[in-house]
Amino acid sequence: MKLNTSHPIFSAYKKNPKLFDEIFNKNGEVKQIYTKLFELYGGLSVEDFVNLNDKAKASFFNQGITFQVYSEAKQKEKIFPFDLFPRIIAPDEWQTIEKGAIQRSKALNLFLWDIYHDKKILKQGIVPVSLLSSSVNYLDQMMDLDPPGGIYNHVSGTDLIKHSDGKYYVLEDNIRCPSGVSYVISNRTALKRALFGVFNHYRTHSVTDYAENLLDILESVKPHGVDQPTCVVLTPGMYNSAYYEHSYLAKSMGVELVEGRDLYVENNFVYMKTIKGPERVDVIYRRIDDHFLDPFEFMPDSSLGVPGLFSVYRQGNVCIVNAPGTGAADDKAIYTFMPEIIKYYLGEEPILNNVQTYHCSKPDQLQYVLENIPDLVVKPVDEAGGYGISIGNRLTKQQIQEVKDQIKANPRKYIAQPIMSLSVHATYIEDSHSFEQRHIDLRTFTLLGKDKEFVLKGGLTRVALQKGNLIVNSSQGGGSKDTWVLKK
Amino acid sequence: MLARVANNLFWMGRYIERSEYIARYLNVNYFSSLDAPHPLSQSRQFVLRSMLFMMGQPVSDPDLELDEEEVFFDITFNEENPFSLINNVNYARDNANSSRDQMSTELYESINKFYHAVQNYPVEFFKKKGLYDFTVYVTEMTAVLRGKIRGTILHDEIYAIIMLGINLERATQIVRIINAKYNDAKLAKGSYGDAFRNSYEWTTLLKCGESYDMHRRLNKKAPNSISTLNFMLLNAQNPKSVMNCLNQVYNHILVLDSSLINDKSTVKFYIGKIRSEYEFKIATEIEDDIQENIDDLLNKLTIISQKIEEEYFNY
Repeated sequence: MKLNTSHPIFSAYKKNPKLFDEIFNKNGEVKQIYTKLFELYGGLSVEDFVNLNDKAKASFFNQGITFQVYSEAKQKEKIFPFDLFPRIIAPDEWQTIEKGAIQRSKALNLFLWDIYHDKKILKQGIVPVSLLSSSVNYLDQMMDLDPPGGIYNHVSGTDLIKHSDGKYYVLEDNIRCPSGVSYVISNRTALKRALFGVFNHYRTHSVTDYAENLLDILESVKPHGVDQPTCVVLTPGMYNSAYYEHSYLAKSMGVELVEGRDLYVENNFVYMKTIKGPERVDVIYRRIDDHFLDPFEFMPDSSLGVPGLFSVYRQGNVCIVNAPGTGAADDKAIYTFMPEIIKYYLGEEPILNNVQTYHCSKPDQLQYVLENIPDLVVKPVDEAGGYGISIGNRLTKQQIQEVKDQIKANPRKYIAQPIMSLSVHATYIEDSHSFEQRHIDLRTFTLLGKDKEFVLKGGLTRVALQKGNLIVNSSQGGGSKDTWVLKK
Repeated sequence: MLARVANNLFWMGRYIERSEYIARYLNVNYFSSLDAPHPLSQSRQFVLRSMLFMMGQPVSDPDLELDEEEVFFDITFNEENPFSLINNVNYARDNANSSRDQMSTELYESINKFYHAVQNYPVEFFKKKGLYDFTVYVTEMTAVLRGKIRGTILHDEIYAIIMLGINLERATQIVRIINAKYNDAKLAKGSYGDAFRNSYEWTTLLKCGESYDMHRRLNKKAPNSISTLNFMLLNAQNPKSVMNCLNQVYNHILVLDSSLINDKSTVKFYIGKIRSEYEFKIATEIEDDIQENIDDLLNKLTIISQKIEEEYFNY
């Protein structure tokens, strides 16, 4: 395609009136918060922009901020596509998000304590027992175990969208090993390098304080009797798709990045193998899944974990972050009870909206789902990364039948929600050399420690790069944007 | 520092250094052979054999006709050949990857950039006319990497371990070059006086170690076997000499092992012993039986490396 470099970068922008555009209002005018940015970008020619875009890409590649895509014959390094047009969130809007994210994290923490202790919420019938008894992520081993500081979900990633009604909705809570925070920081770095001039016109919150807050949180949940805890980040290794993030977090906290084989258990303590012999480890921020943590307790053939780790944890001599078994609370079936969970433990109304959800495990709702598949999104409750999702209005008749059969075969496995319309944001599309509307979401990062809480002022705005696509996960070809939270 | 990470950093240092010596060996031998005085030194076949010998893949069949492009490709970009330059760079970057939280962003970025540049180098261009450009690029990048190592990370245990790797590898490569060139000198003798001692190959040897000009400055005459062995093995002021490497290795091991009691089982003691031995060697003694001295030295360098692994990386 030959480049016509003279026309301004926004000239081909088509606005679909059915979609909620973050930049333009209903009359097609630029929203006030974006005016300055729009002026600055609008002045660039396509050629200028292509240069900037290439520079940003090279910067990511050289920094080694790449990931590997699963299920490809030869694992290939890819850059997480990065869009140079930032998303801006106004201060008051952000306040709601921040308060809501903390509220959810606290409620989930109390819920986890309850389901691994007295199970009051189940006994009182507010959340059905069957949801937990059938959950593969519920760990019997965690029963009656008190995690240090009473915290389970130290790190939470909350996925939010803005619907066509202009309101934020939570799509899911990620409280196992939510990833993506390193991209928030590297996106900011890349944008600052490429377009430093634009920052002068906005008062944006910094995102570089995440690591120091994370270390604070980790140290706040140190085992009893430890004065200066030794914290580490536990990674599955350099071939993991999120390895960059693991190394970034370790480096920016100034702690060791360990693999399972670097740790061992002796006399009820965990040690790492250093060049000067063993050194005791007190807090492990683990980035491997529960089932790989300890072959003695969980999957016996796991080589990623540390034999005996769980028994040390049970003794209270090491803290595992996030606690094992948090997956019982972040699956898509529990999600639908979040309003009730928040009310039950905190006595508050939920600050952030939940999407109306139909449980295929309930016969009446199952019936509704089966009859209305074209208007619904059907999701398996226990899959991560956007896998296994069916979007009703994209399916052929035959595919609808297949989905129905799948649901009928295993109703507990599925939930359905109305098709939410994610808001759109101007995004640079390489193939057409212009900005186009693309769907976005937002992942926020919340930290919860003993008497401490923190929400990163910013977040990962993920973009579905394919036209019309609603799935923003990086494993499904999504990209991301720098996200500015403005100061008051 | 984690034992595993120390192991990775040690080998990262070794592979960076090894890449440099492979590249320079190709460059120097190829280009100095073009107008070498001895007809054998000028022969393509002779040079290609020398290259493969240096890579540890000597050709034993005297009649085998080697193909220049094939040999170049095999040594540089053939990923199926575990010793190839590209694999060395891959290993260096793999090792950097698994310890990247320990190093500066600047150092990691340079290694990563180097890796991508080598991965994406146009191989056909290299085969036809890129030998000079590519080998010079590699040697310059390795110098940049050493600069980043020296200039951007703390001079603590991490630095000591990387430098142990670099210096042990450098000493090993220098001895291997001496070995290869000693063999070449036996075949391509000089034209005056003691033919072996005055072979042009001693000049090539010095150039392979980036030491020709400094040798000239020190000795003010064309190199011969004695002056070359002296300069490359025993002259502590020459940063490329084995003596200098052993001194550095000793200084860096002191960072890891500061115990005052000289425990004879430690690698520190062993390094000190070899270092002292070479401090009092004489070049003519070495020349009396070059091959045996080379074998003995290579063996001792291997033992140092093994002992470092046993003492610090065993986990």
